[in-house]
Amino acid sequence: MPSPRIIDGRGMEPPEPLERVLAELPKLAQDEELLLLVRCEPLPLYAILAKNGFGYSSKLQADGSNEVRISKIQSRT
Amino acid sequence: MRPTQPALSFEQAPPISVPYRFFLTAPLFGAVAGLILAVLGPETLQSRWSPGALAMTHLIVVDFMLQAMCGSLLQFVAVVAGANIWRPRLVAAVVHPMITAGAIFLASAFLFGQQALFVAAAAVFVVALGFFLTVMFVALLRTPARGMSIHVLRVAVFGLLVTVILGATLALTLGLGDHLQSDWSLLALINVHVAWGLGGWALMLVIGVSYLVVPMFQLTPSYPAWLMRFLPAALFVALCLWSLQLFAPDATSQKWQAIVGLAGAALGALYAVTTLRLQAQRKRRQVDPTFIFWRVAMLSLVAFALSWLVLEVLPGLGADLRAPLWLGVLVIPGLFLSVITGMLYKIMPFLNWLHLQQQGGTVVTSPNMKQMIPERAMRGQMRLHITALGLLLGAVLWPALAIPAGLAFTASCLWLEWNLIGAARVYKRHRDRIRAGIGTGA
Repeated sequence: MPSPRIIDGRGMEPPEPLERVLAELPKLAQDEELLLLVRCEPLPLYAILAKNGFGYSSKLQADGSNEVRISKIQSRT
Repeated sequence: MRPTQPALSFEQAPPISVPYRFFLTAPLFGAVAGLILAVLGPETLQSRWSPGALAMTHLIVVDFMLQAMCGSLLQFVAVVAGANIWRPRLVAAVVHPMITAGAIFLASAFLFGQQALFVAAAAVFVVALGFFLTVMFVALLRTPARGMSIHVLRVAVFGLLVTVILGATLALTLGLGDHLQSDWSLLALINVHVAWGLGGWALMLVIGVSYLVVPMFQLTPSYPAWLMRFLPAALFVALCLWSLQLFAPDATSQKWQAIVGLAGAALGALYAVTTLRLQAQRKRRQVDPTFIFWRVAMLSLVAFALSWLVLEVLPGLGADLRAPLWLGVLVIPGLFLSVITGMLYKIMPFLNWLHLQQQGGTVVTSPNMKQMIPERAMRGQMRLHITALGLLLGAVLWPALAIPAGLAFTASCLWLEWNLIGAARVYKRHRDRIRAGIGTGA
């Protein structure tokens, strides 16, 4: 898997991190990963991702921020 | 790491009309409260017990603050806490008009001395808020989200429950008079009702929400972990101790209550000073209206705590009938309306963006957050709010200022209403374009 695209949204005011993610999603290749770093758990983003065929996993960091890994859901063919 | 399907479902996130009907009603009743002051004039601020002061206070705390807070909570627990609200459209359709009607009954009861209206207000509030609280308790208990904010919101909702029970008891006591026997002193009941309403519900809610929104929107460091746990717990204990005056309204108890009151004021000051310090350490130097509204709110809370201390130390000053009015102006328009207005200027643009984004998916671009309410309009309204706050404080000391204070407060509320209507219209315009398949552009 290629190294992930990274968006560090920890110094951005909402909804800028979400806007950046949405701008990147159409460019994401099938096996590519987008890594989002944010200070809170971006719950509204998850609904948008699910609706548009993307999966995610989120991990709480020691400093209270979240690391969200986003990729396209593999089609079952 | 393999991607997973979302564990939470947001399909039941409230439609945008749910919070907006609360938000768009709230400032109108602030405007009415200001008009009451302007029409009744200086005698309104002679004492907290004047019919005008009681009517104004309840119009602001119920029809402005409670409306805005209920609307925010319905959206906040869904969007930020990931909790599913049961039938949000139905909840809003029942609760919103009933709260509106209840506050009008209550304000009219105080203004015109109609006992039957107190009973009507109590009945309406018990039904409406009983329903609202049940839905919120279930949502907050079932949410999979964790963190201090959620715990504090649960305590705040409990605080509203206590406030409603005590408020309904008071309204029934005033409405039914001699027909209702109570062992509790009316003054103690009022003291405890006010403390739970302003401290246990409103301040607790502000604290819980601020743990998330202050670092998120103002790019400050997080609140210290020890403070996040200590503050709500200590405030809750202080409120419980304060409530003991219901059961022992004697002189010894009064001395003890003075200490509890000071401790409560000190907790408020601790929270305010911490928030001001976090604001001073923020990463972004940009100062927007929300930032200033929060600053005004926290300075008002510090001024409230210092005033409380001075009024305790100087009993002669504390006995003045206008002393509670001074404290009330600092805490209601100074603290709570400042926070609410500042947050509405963030919440409505954010909800506009979020709902438009969800409708447009990743194909259609939502307008920029900063285009939702013009910065100039927010700043203008903010200056008027601060002017009105200054005039209200001045009017407590110099009653001749009551009429300009009332008019300035009305104008500030109407300007806020205009700005919020503008945000709602931006949403509607872009939503219609998405539905028509045009795309919005930035």
